[in-house]
Amino acid sequence: MSTTTRHREGQKHAAKPAASGTAPARSRRHSQRWLAWIFLAPTILGMGLFTLVPIVASVVLAFFRWDIISAPSFVGFENFATVVQDPTVRVSFLNTIVFVVVAVSLQLALALALAVMVQAKMPSWLRTFFRSAFFFPLILSAASVSIFMRYLFNEQFGVVNWFLSLAGIPAVPWLTTPGGSAAVVIMVYVWQNFGFSFLLFIGGLASIPTETYEAASLDGATAWRKHVYVTLPLLSPTTLLASVMAIISALQVFDQPYVLTRGGPGDSTRTAVMVIFESAFQRLEFGQASAIGVILTLIIMAITAAQFRLSKRFVFYQ
Amino acid sequence: MTGATNGRLREFSRRTALGALGVGIVGATVASWPRLSGTDIPGRGDNSLSIAIMGTAADAAARQRAIDAFTRLHPDIRVKVQAIQAVDWKDFFTKILTMVAAGTPPDVVYVATEGAQLFADKLAHPLDEYLRRDAADMAEFFDDVHPSLVEAFMYKGSLFQLPMDWNAANMYYNTTAFAQAGLERPADDWTHVDFRSSLVAMRKARPRDFTPYYWTNRLFGGVVPWLYANDTSFLKETRSTGGDWLWNSFYADDPSRGLRSGGYQWLEPNAGDPRVFETFDYLRSLVKDGLGVRPEEGGGSSLVGLFASNRIGTTPAGGYWVQGLHEAGMKKDDFDVAFFPKWRTQRHQFGTAGYAIMKTAKDKDAAWEWIKFSASRKAMELIFPNPVTTPARRSMVNEALYTGKGPAHWKVFYDTLDKYPTTGPIPAPPQQAAVETALMKNVSLAVSGDERQLKQALESMQRDLELALRRQP
Repeated sequence: MSTTTRHREGQKHAAKPAASGTAPARSRRHSQRWLAWIFLAPTILGMGLFTLVPIVASVVLAFFRWDIISAPSFVGFENFATVVQDPTVRVSFLNTIVFVVVAVSLQLALALALAVMVQAKMPSWLRTFFRSAFFFPLILSAASVSIFMRYLFNEQFGVVNWFLSLAGIPAVPWLTTPGGSAAVVIMVYVWQNFGFSFLLFIGGLASIPTETYEAASLDGATAWRKHVYVTLPLLSPTTLLASVMAIISALQVFDQPYVLTRGGPGDSTRTAVMVIFESAFQRLEFGQASAIGVILTLIIMAITAAQFRLSKRFVFYQ
Repeated sequence: MTGATNGRLREFSRRTALGALGVGIVGATVASWPRLSGTDIPGRGDNSLSIAIMGTAADAAARQRAIDAFTRLHPDIRVKVQAIQAVDWKDFFTKILTMVAAGTPPDVVYVATEGAQLFADKLAHPLDEYLRRDAADMAEFFDDVHPSLVEAFMYKGSLFQLPMDWNAANMYYNTTAFAQAGLERPADDWTHVDFRSSLVAMRKARPRDFTPYYWTNRLFGGVVPWLYANDTSFLKETRSTGGDWLWNSFYADDPSRGLRSGGYQWLEPNAGDPRVFETFDYLRSLVKDGLGVRPEEGGGSSLVGLFASNRIGTTPAGGYWVQGLHEAGMKKDDFDVAFFPKWRTQRHQFGTAGYAIMKTAKDKDAAWEWIKFSASRKAMELIFPNPVTTPARRSMVNEALYTGKGPAHWKVFYDTLDKYPTTGPIPAPPQQAAVETALMKNVSLAVSGDERQLKQALESMQRDLELALRRQP
């Protein structure tokens, strides 16, 4: 009954388009537009105040010398020239790129492997357990996790070296050598962040039609061939999204290296965002910090654009 | 009919919901107005004196008795203490600077040596006029405080802070570990060679799950005490002229009067000095031979627990450690403290802290009254009832403070200044943050590899320090 009524009402509107131009209709549309703006206002205001304004302010600040205390002075491109020549900044960007390549590769590979495993046949309670367990590290504070890991990886008294000693392996200087500290930072970061990619892959796997696998089985495809020729191609949109998000996040890594190693030994684990923090809040060079921030933003935008451009070749939409 | 009724109900409930949302937003705004407008920030929105200290709310509460006593003395001055949690002093200064950037600076800040010159150079108001005015009242304070501590707060001939507490990098040792290795208490003038022999003996007695020497990579207690002992530093140390007005007023008869100046200056790097190499090489050999750990960066928060569980033989620390070891279960005879080993000199390193008045303080006279009161014996006894630090007043470093807690040779703490008057502060120019980063990032590499790596690390340190000192603070 009600369906019929709605249908008739629809017909009525379709039959009389001129009615939409009547005064009451215009008034309704006008009030609806206002209502939409009222609902959007908090988000627009929040985005404007806390995202857009700081971005613009940061770009402007990159052209000034400012130490908080004295009045800012315009220096043109001097901050950009200084940071480009600064060996610590260059090393930190290089470290960040290496970190992104290694950490994101590991994060995506681990997340995909575990998502495929969890989607396999198993009791639903066990699947729920795994999903929760893999996602759990993501909701923990990165600083707290890093402090905890610092204890675990302590060369002298850490549990990790204690377990290794049971196997006769001598104490590993995890946090006091360049290689060891980089490995720990990557391990801790991947462990804590793969949960998000894992969830994306779980969603992507669930959306692949089972008929596709059935058809592949009928064609005699093995499990591995089904994975390579059915799962991976149909999962490519999810992989693109996961990789874009993971790369953007990894380019901004800060908490783990800051708490675990403070960027050391030497500059071996110093990252771009750490240098921004140190320039701004420890050396009071807000102009230079902003210049580094602008450069990092441009790099992130360029990488993301490149990913979307390349995706036309590798991503298959159903 | 029914449909019309439903429509009204829907409309009514939507309006009600929107109305309730609006009322809720207005209510929340009104309720949180003090937060939104920043009037809940101590000292803002009223005329009270806002004081920032590093610590927790419990540390602020611990000062309440002193605040009450101050209020009784000055009922017209309201005081609000804001405790700011931080990992270390660098982190604390970062937060203070953020408050400055936000336009909500405190009136008075408790600043340690690490930030003394940064504040003196940019943020703090000198105390000279107040000290000249109240010289008669302050004479008793200076009589009780060693001039080395005061000089650490001199900057270009002006005094910016009064030292309230301080700590030298002395050498703590675990008496059980010493006994197991057949070692006696070290002599006052033990050398770096004696020290190494002690570590070797302890390592021999306990080859596993034990570290003879534990040290952290930071400005205080890291590599600097060794550099001082070897009569060098990673920065060239000079003194500025001036300050005679203070020394002649309060320390005219002090035996170390001739050593005093208008304040320390660290204007050039010195990592290329052969003695710096020699010192680092000594520390590198301790690491290489398993006698000392590779220094980790940070505050060494786990150190008390490790020391209290008899897994560490020796470590540099000051009087601030006593209460922590006591609370960790160490008995008064389980540990002791000795002077830092002698090398070319036996100059020690110390750090001190005191209140600085901010240039932006609303009522500087009120801020000075707080500082003057805090420097009184009565206030210090209220603020430092336990050995969580070493009070700047010599008379307060007494038997009563350490009874039942140890160490047996607590006199070492203040004797460090009296016996070694050249003992110097943490090298912290106005560019302290950049300097500290330059030092810390190269120390681990310097002591962790071979001689070639050590040379490279010191060359890198020299370059980084040149850059750091060139920066504007």
